[in-house]
Amino acid sequence: MAVSPLVPHASSVAASSSNAGNKFENDSGINPPNKTKRSSSPQRMKNPDREITEQLNDDVRHKYIKDKKLGEGTYAVVFLGHLRTDPSSFVAIKKIKVNAEYKDGLSMDAIREVKYLQELSHPNIIALHDVFSSKDQNLNLVLEYLPRGDLEMLIRDSNIHYGAADVKAWMGMLARGVWFCHENYILHRDIKPNNLLVAADGEVKLADFGLARSFADPYLNMTHQVITRWYRPPELLFGARQYSGAVDVWSMGMVFAELLLRVPFVAGNSDLDQISKICEAFGTPTEENWPGVTRLPNYIPADPNHIVPLQGRDFFLRQFPTAGPVGADLLMSMCTLDPRKRGTACQILQHGWWLAEPKPTKKQDLPRKVGGTKKMGDDLTRRGGELDDTSFKNAARQLDFGAARD
Amino acid sequence: MAANYWASTQRRHWLFTREKLAEIRENFRERDMVAHSQFPLPDQRLLNIYFSQLYTLNRWASKLTRPTELIKLGKRMSTRQQALATAQVYVKRFYTKNEIRHTNPYLVVTTAFYLACKMEECPQHIRFVVGEARGLWPEFIAPDVSKLGECEFSLISEMNSQLIVHHPYRTLSELQPELSLTSDEVALAWSVINDHYLTDLPLLYPPHVIAVMAIIVAVVFKPSQTSFHGSAAPLASAMRDGGMNILAALGEKGGNGPPPRIQRLIGWLAESEVDIKAVIECTQELVSLYEVWEQYSEKHCKELLGRMVKSKNLDK
Repeated sequence: MAVSPLVPHASSVAASSSNAGNKFENDSGINPPNKTKRSSSPQRMKNPDREITEQLNDDVRHKYIKDKKLGEGTYAVVFLGHLRTDPSSFVAIKKIKVNAEYKDGLSMDAIREVKYLQELSHPNIIALHDVFSSKDQNLNLVLEYLPRGDLEMLIRDSNIHYGAADVKAWMGMLARGVWFCHENYILHRDIKPNNLLVAADGEVKLADFGLARSFADPYLNMTHQVITRWYRPPELLFGARQYSGAVDVWSMGMVFAELLLRVPFVAGNSDLDQISKICEAFGTPTEENWPGVTRLPNYIPADPNHIVPLQGRDFFLRQFPTAGPVGADLLMSMCTLDPRKRGTACQILQHGWWLAEPKPTKKQDLPRKVGGTKKMGDDLTRRGGELDDTSFKNAARQLDFGAARD
Repeated sequence: MAANYWASTQRRHWLFTREKLAEIRENFRERDMVAHSQFPLPDQRLLNIYFSQLYTLNRWASKLTRPTELIKLGKRMSTRQQALATAQVYVKRFYTKNEIRHTNPYLVVTTAFYLACKMEECPQHIRFVVGEARGLWPEFIAPDVSKLGECEFSLISEMNSQLIVHHPYRTLSELQPELSLTSDEVALAWSVINDHYLTDLPLLYPPHVIAVMAIIVAVVFKPSQTSFHGSAAPLASAMRDGGMNILAALGEKGGNGPPPRIQRLIGWLAESEVDIKAVIECTQELVSLYEVWEQYSEKHCKELLGRMVKSKNLDK
């Protein structure tokens, strides 16, 4: 298959020029000029046109060199790669697995990922540089390389110390990414710490659009089987088939809580357990605090002897002291049970917390993961020509929990 | 619908000028003169009409739409229609990169439908799609589903994985309250939009221009209350006759002028920043579609395509 030249070329240039400092800008010269593209041909392998198409695909493929395998998931393998012309420009190459014995077309995940990443260009959303095919008819997505792991690693690593200012910086980047998706009528539907990758410069990027979809038209149903359980909002647990960006906002709230507590806040071991944990934590959903909840398909009536009242601001302040009163207020608006009363991504961004002290940490000063990924990240920055000494600065701030920073 | 049209790959990479399209096609011809003289094909629009058989299968309708939801919606909006429209655009995009005579168009059309259904979140099983297509064109679609899988792959790559298509239907729904369109007018505009996928218009103009054109056609040329589905003849003649009357009315100085409804639309159009020249060109394109439509012969299309596919073994 061919990613034919004219457009992919144009798109990669467009994408790179919209991302400041992208390493691919100077790369456009190696693509064939537009004039050479023209007819190419599809199924008939023996056709001379076919060779042109293949040639053009090869040109894209040859732009990159695949290095070692970084990881393997259920439907894809991820490799580290770099530009042939510039070994210091790293990329991640995601190779979509095709079921060899039984070809059933491409999976919805792969389709969704390509579909949305092709259109979205934002500093807090992972960039798709190119798409090409390899000989065995595998689709390869050339993605922005994000060497500093994900937020989950940072949360779990007890050697890493971070404070409210860092949390604010990460949450800010997350909120901007989510807002941009919603602004473009796209629901991400799988926000969680290990889908929030960290770039070499500390920028947090929303990745994995395998579950993303456009907002449905009014009255059309969507599936409720999305979002990893711990981050799934109550309306989806109750089986709502029509929902909004509020589902992503809930997940964002859960990430926020997890960043503050350093453990998942409501971690149920089944969908039912998840519901009861949410009820215990935030209050039992009732017709009073959430009109219409009892009519949701999988609604489970609450035990009348065990109704937890809706938690107020005090609870959030007590539970999340590091967030401060304004932060607790923001978290409360993200974790509102009734999706209609929950803040929207836009309202989240307009919240006063972002302006309150402490100011968010500058992204280059954010704590980073030490170890293998860090080494890779260091290598990357060094080859890029910069000296990486920020980690030393971080060491001095490790105990600086919650203090104001400039 | 997703993302923003103005920043979309559709606007940046899949909008052509007429000259550019003509040049692309001329290049195809020059590159393979032999095939072109050996296998003459009917007008592309007639082929599009021919292939739209797949899209109008009643079985799709029952499988793909849930009537209760449609009633709730109160308009003939459905995922199915979006998917069909998307599929038609995919085919057009594909053939700006590929000479039709080097492909099995039956397979391309079927695959485009399969992919579009996934894209518009109403996925159909690959076997179901192949089965339906074989029901229509048994000689040209192989029972082996892996062919479709392969072709899907090639389709995606030829389109540079740029899969989101923006359609005029949404603009139409949005403008309905603003222009207080009647349900008849919306229905007619809707079918005009359906018809425009048979032409090159989706490659030439942004969706909102198409939507405005459809609204004008619907309001100005008035649906002749009879059924206009399935056949273009009533609309074509309405456009011819009605159009003349309107033009006459507009030209009549000191006369009563056009009816107030039309005056209101004209006023809205004048204040909008829609490219009126483009709207006129779209209208003309549509008129000529309806003219060409009168020459449509399913048998003729089938013969020419069959000869091409069979003699070049494109179906294997």
